[in-house]
Amino acid sequence: MPMFDTHMILTIVGIAFVGGIIGLDRTAVGQCMISQPIVVGPLTGWILGDPTAGIVIGAVLELIWVLDMPVGTFVPADATISAVSATAIAALGNTGGAPLPLIGFSILLTVAMVPVTMKADGIIRHWNSRLADAVMTGPGTDSGRALVRAHLSGLLVFFLKSFVLYLVFLPAGVVAVSVFRQLPENVHLAMSLFVKLLPLLGMALVARKLSMKTIDLFLLSGFMIAATAGQLFHAPALLIILLAVVGGWLGAGYRERHS
Amino acid sequence: MNGIHNKIGAADLFVVFLRALLMQASWSFERMQSLGFAFAIAPALKKLYPNGAEYESRLRLHMDYFNTQPYLASFILGAVVRMEEERATGLSASDDVVGLKAALMAPLGALGDSFFWGALKPLAAVLAVALLMTGYWWAPFLFLVFYNVWHLGLRAAMLFWGYTSGGNAVALIARFSFMKMAKRFKVITLSVLGGIIGMAPDWRPEFQPIAPLPFLPMALSWLVVALAFVAILRRGGSPIKLMLGLAALCLALAYAGVLA
Repeated sequence: MPMFDTHMILTIVGIAFVGGIIGLDRTAVGQCMISQPIVVGPLTGWILGDPTAGIVIGAVLELIWVLDMPVGTFVPADATISAVSATAIAALGNTGGAPLPLIGFSILLTVAMVPVTMKADGIIRHWNSRLADAVMTGPGTDSGRALVRAHLSGLLVFFLKSFVLYLVFLPAGVVAVSVFRQLPENVHLAMSLFVKLLPLLGMALVARKLSMKTIDLFLLSGFMIAATAGQLFHAPALLIILLAVVGGWLGAGYRERHS
Repeated sequence: MNGIHNKIGAADLFVVFLRALLMQASWSFERMQSLGFAFAIAPALKKLYPNGAEYESRLRLHMDYFNTQPYLASFILGAVVRMEEERATGLSASDDVVGLKAALMAPLGALGDSFFWGALKPLAAVLAVALLMTGYWWAPFLFLVFYNVWHLGLRAAMLFWGYTSGGNAVALIARFSFMKMAKRFKVITLSVLGGIIGMAPDWRPEFQPIAPLPFLPMALSWLVVALAFVAILRRGGSPIKLMLGLAALCLALAYAGVLA
């Protein structure tokens, strides 16, 4: 296909490589949260010359997936692959900054990616059992060296999982974008609205998991603080966020004393 | 450290700390972090047991099933290093490291999941999203710094606390009240979430409504939409289904002519 010229192929391979390395942070190395959408979205956008797409996608996917936790044997959705893929697809699908509908469509594509990433994660985590078995059932001598070899080869397995998935998702996404361009104007309008509403859906997902109530008092007080400071005093966003933090801290202290 | 256990020093514990960062490199459903635990503790065991055969046998003992929250695993690592040291130096006859690990991993796992995944991470994320949505490009850096000051600071401290306390989890909880901090962080997160919605008119242009609205009506309408989403979520549904549902709703509105 003419859309896949040498530059495009090299870019896809490069993003797959960088994404694979950063993806190690999710489980295998450190878990310092470098792999979170709010970091990898803007980073991918910056690398590909479309920071706006990265910022929008990173913020939205962070809210949606932040409380999808790796507890016990549950393997959460790979939000890193979602954020990197969506940003790369949006940036590669439109040179000079992806329009809002395209950003929305790229985010929507990640919905199809999530089950695949979870399945792939499940497969490699079963496969990793062989690494432990190889050390445990091996000869009783030099277990230390066998352990290091087996354990660190897990890094390669995790890397390859992400790398291969990017090599599948990114070209498929670029093709899907070319189809999306042909769709009627109403679909583009719908994708614009989709992007605008997604942060609210993400916030609702977080609020539901953190509070038992639909109308949470602390959420409402944060809203009141921000709306009042913004409307009456035209306070800058940074100050409003600080006020919401202080308000939350004081509210939590009050609740502790009176419960 | 305290003059009695002189085989393991701070430098040895630091090596264990660095290796613990790779604890989940070979995470598997069947054995979870078993290889990771053995990998992290191996240098300390090598120092404690110069005899090859004994080192091999102790290392294999630590390849047993192990799973906990990866950050708080440091506490257990510190405690086990201490127990191994006491055994190797003859200070203690007790060497029930398997029992110690089994006793600590489940409660510390629950504590760590609740604090780090359920409270600290959402707080850091929501703060960063609030800043990013209102135009502060450096929000991802703040996210990483804020999260990792807690993460790496506590992870390193846990290793030393585990070592010095010998795995006394009660002393750990007395020293750092995870549950109390988790509750506070969750409340602050909710407050900041409300703050983000209240700042809706200051959001990036990509998130502004299609038709411009005055400040308060816009913030209030966004609040109503967010609360409606929460009410829908109470009835269940995964993020994937909700995203698909939202996309379908947007398409329906577009074809109904509402967005024209």
